[in-house]
Amino acid sequence: MDQLLQHAANAMIIGGTYALLGIGLTLIFGIMKVVNFTHGELYSFGAYMMYAWVMLIGADFMVSLVLAVVLGIALGALVEFVLLRRLRGADIDTTMLVMIGAWIAMQNTEQLAWSGVAKSIVSPFPADPLVLGPVSISWTRLFVFVVALVLIAATYALIQRTKLGKAMRATFQDRQAAALMGVQINSIHTATFALGSGLAAAAGALLGPVFVVYPTIGDSASLKAFAIVILGGLGSIPGATIGGFILAFAEELGAGYVSSGYRDAMGFLLIILILIFKPTGLFAQKERIG
Amino acid sequence: MHIDPRKAALSVLAAGLMAAPAFAQDTIKIGVTQPLTGAFAASGNYVAQGAKIAEDEINAKGGVLGKKIQLVIEDNKSNPTEAVATVEKLIVRDKVPAIMGAWSSTLTLAVMPKVMEYKVPLVVETSSSGKITTAGNPYVFRIAPTSDMEAVAFTPLIDKLNIKKAAFLNTNNDFGIGSAKAYSEALKKKGVEIGVMETMDPKATDFSAQLTSIKASGADTLFVTTAVEQITLVLKQAKELQLDARIITTGGSNSPDQLIAQAGSAADGSYHVVFFPPWFPDVVKNPEAAKSYMTEWKKRGHEPGGMTEGFRGYDGIYTIAEAIKVAGKAEPAAIKDALWKVTVHGVYGDIKFTQQGPKGKESGQNVPSVYLVKIEDGKVVNPEL
Amino acid sequence: MTNRILSLAWVAFLISIPFWMEDLYYLHVLIVTGIFIIAAMSLNLLLGYTGQLSLGHVAFFGIGAYVSSLVSLGFEIHVLPNTTVSLDPKPVWFAMLVAVIFSGLCGWFIGRVSFKVRGAYFVIVTVSFAEVVRLVSLNWMELTQGPMALNNIPYLTLGIPEVFEVEFIGKVPCYYLVLAVAVFTYVVIRRLVQSRAGRAMIALRENEPLASSVGVDVTRVLVLATIVSAGLAGLAGALYAHYVRIVDPDVFLFIYTVTMVIMVITGGKGTLAGPIVGGLVFGIFPEVLRGFQVQPEIQWITYGVLMILIVYFLPAGIVPAIRSLLPRRLVEGGDGSVEPNATAEARS
Repeated sequence: MDQLLQHAANAMIIGGTYALLGIGLTLIFGIMKVVNFTHGELYSFGAYMMYAWVMLIGADFMVSLVLAVVLGIALGALVEFVLLRRLRGADIDTTMLVMIGAWIAMQNTEQLAWSGVAKSIVSPFPADPLVLGPVSISWTRLFVFVVALVLIAATYALIQRTKLGKAMRATFQDRQAAALMGVQINSIHTATFALGSGLAAAAGALLGPVFVVYPTIGDSASLKAFAIVILGGLGSIPGATIGGFILAFAEELGAGYVSSGYRDAMGFLLIILILIFKPTGLFAQKERIG
Repeated sequence: MHIDPRKAALSVLAAGLMAAPAFAQDTIKIGVTQPLTGAFAASGNYVAQGAKIAEDEINAKGGVLGKKIQLVIEDNKSNPTEAVATVEKLIVRDKVPAIMGAWSSTLTLAVMPKVMEYKVPLVVETSSSGKITTAGNPYVFRIAPTSDMEAVAFTPLIDKLNIKKAAFLNTNNDFGIGSAKAYSEALKKKGVEIGVMETMDPKATDFSAQLTSIKASGADTLFVTTAVEQITLVLKQAKELQLDARIITTGGSNSPDQLIAQAGSAADGSYHVVFFPPWFPDVVKNPEAAKSYMTEWKKRGHEPGGMTEGFRGYDGIYTIAEAIKVAGKAEPAAIKDALWKVTVHGVYGDIKFTQQGPKGKESGQNVPSVYLVKIEDGKVVNPEL
Repeated sequence: MTNRILSLAWVAFLISIPFWMEDLYYLHVLIVTGIFIIAAMSLNLLLGYTGQLSLGHVAFFGIGAYVSSLVSLGFEIHVLPNTTVSLDPKPVWFAMLVAVIFSGLCGWFIGRVSFKVRGAYFVIVTVSFAEVVRLVSLNWMELTQGPMALNNIPYLTLGIPEVFEVEFIGKVPCYYLVLAVAVFTYVVIRRLVQSRAGRAMIALRENEPLASSVGVDVTRVLVLATIVSAGLAGLAGALYAHYVRIVDPDVFLFIYTVTMVIMVITGGKGTLAGPIVGGLVFGIFPEVLRGFQVQPEIQWITYGVLMILIVYFLPAGIVPAIRSLLPRRLVEGGDGSVEPNATAEARS
């Protein structure tokens, strides 16, 4: 029982960042119809920026976190502006090939810039964990969890409460109608991609100090994000949020009680099950693309 | 590595005309295959840096047989298939007469059939799996200790550390599995109870599941076998989960100074099996070699934590250079025979090879020293045992 | 007719290579390139002719490599506490046959499951499939040795034992073996796409609703294409395993699928010669770059950028672009004037 509680605590904490990753990817897909293979690279970009600011420049941890996210947003906007703008209206396969090319170029640029050696980021939180009965949680992880929840809430607020969010939702539902109503589709696309990228960078910047940072960390982040959005249904933000937590629990419990080697396989097994029994994902609002 | 494109094109066109003087060049090439990227990148880069120090020192002293040596360093990406590809390139393209590598046991075992196929000697600077020198490959010469040697050296410490119940967490490759087997057998002989034996993928970063079950098992000592990147994470996550078992890392690729720098107070109280203790250079067999290496390492501004790993590459290149000198020519068969005759006063100690493995096709195995160090209050100390 | 002569001349040239190329390293590069070309040709069947962007193709390549290795090495596994399944080592040619059949079966299974969905879902499902297979190969250590890799895989021998045997060890025999398999693959794919089923594939690539309305059994055609494609990819994987003689779970990495995809789209998807041209470009390109002492990272960055540029400016690939240029040049007396419309046309 103690062990189960500890596993559950671990899963909750990782689930928060998974949800961030998933929301970012699902937003981009829902609004832009782009399968974003660079998502994981934004994640590792966030982690490397955290490393650069905290470990190389010696900036404050919190300031570095904000900077990493802001830079992630900027990079996302740049990618959209340079690569995707001219492909608006292109079919999904074409944009996907471009994003794969961008992914390869970005990952290898990272490897060139930072070398293949893993980097550690020292966090300012006390090393002794918070102990709640049988469960112990490090302060760094707790911080990661809280920030992730704040960012999820902020994203919801942005989508539901702001004018930008309204325009995004309109574009999601009917792009042409939205354009006719005066929504600047180009700006919405840039904003969406920047926001999604910022969330991925935030996830990387948060998890960088928990684990280590190396050039290919983005690959598994991308795959997890794909699994999460399939679980939740492509384009569904609540689906991605819950999907993130489901994936984290499946992985943690699978690793704890089945086999730690199959931790990363849990997500894909869920995908296959979902595909067989409920092909639209658990929370899909719209018809799948086809 | 340094092919002039024009020359390459020429050699394709005119290969038939040129009587391919394979080894007659103005430099003597030595092949190196190391994991410069991927899961073992930190260690692989340290070994390559150490190898380059040896290259420069040897060349500064006039080289070997009147020629300069030239290292051709290939990145095997921490992957066995890539390791085979690098060895293929080194032998077929660069025509090196000897190779040093390939860091991890799995990588070394992967390239062994290749060096046998092409009959090129391989000096193994790091790998610890017993299988390497018992496989019947007469081209393999290992200067690193085997896991069994480590375990034998460790046995007297079992009582002193008062180990009653041990747990294991190791990578699921030849390095980790071989080490866990050797240590658990040594512990069993001393009547120590063996608790859970957990494994991890060499690329994994989250060990909370394994550490949670190790904690539940109530072991007093946890043996960890992997490279420094994963050790850092294991120490941090063990502290987060309040695992109070004493942690001992084996295999010598633990870079204690790097652990102190990156795991902070989570490294305190852990023990580490190393093969070169730069903190007390006077205890080693050849202090001059050790000091010369350490001075140059510091001068080049390499990561201080890598010093316990880089010396392997340094010694490996000196061993090959010495064998070329003894052989009198830079040809694979002559170097292979010469390796049996060399004695190198290296950082590892006096390196010389004894026969191991099936009769008639023995591999060479060196017997180096093994040290146990402890981290206390952010410093490496010689544990008072 | 000229086409046939050209093809024969091309094959004759390829056959002649080992006679004058004495540097074995270049032969090695050609062998590995050839194996990837076979895989790219098989991917082209799905990507180019049916229009399905399958990004899990390396799964079939890897399954072929693992199955052929395991059958030729033999294995023993415990499936239930008291039941073991074991297999004694079998001849390599037999192992390769099993590998092709097994890969084809996996293609059938994946086709049945994943063609329920299209677009982004299909892509992610195929990526996930390759990832699951990679994790199984990594963790089922009793069977696959996990990260320790399957080592010492035997090389191929053909003939009657002790009477007449050809050993495919060393560069020259392996080169001819790969060349023979490549020609075989080319012929199989050519036959298939020129058959009724092939026309159905192209029809549903162009307009799926229309194709199905005129009676094309969409799922059946797609599954057939996947089976053939998977079987040929498995054959390429088996060749690879018996040439490099080691397989590890990284054979399933996404980057290898991407390499095949780049080869196909660079050469020209949906053309028979496309994967060959793309494969030669990307197989030999790294060696040229190495000659200029370019780091591998820069090489990959170049690949990525090239891929983007091709999608933008040459979306149909090299082969169709050349084809659309050539006759006009002949007609216009070869004045070499620039063809600004070529790319625009190809894109529309």
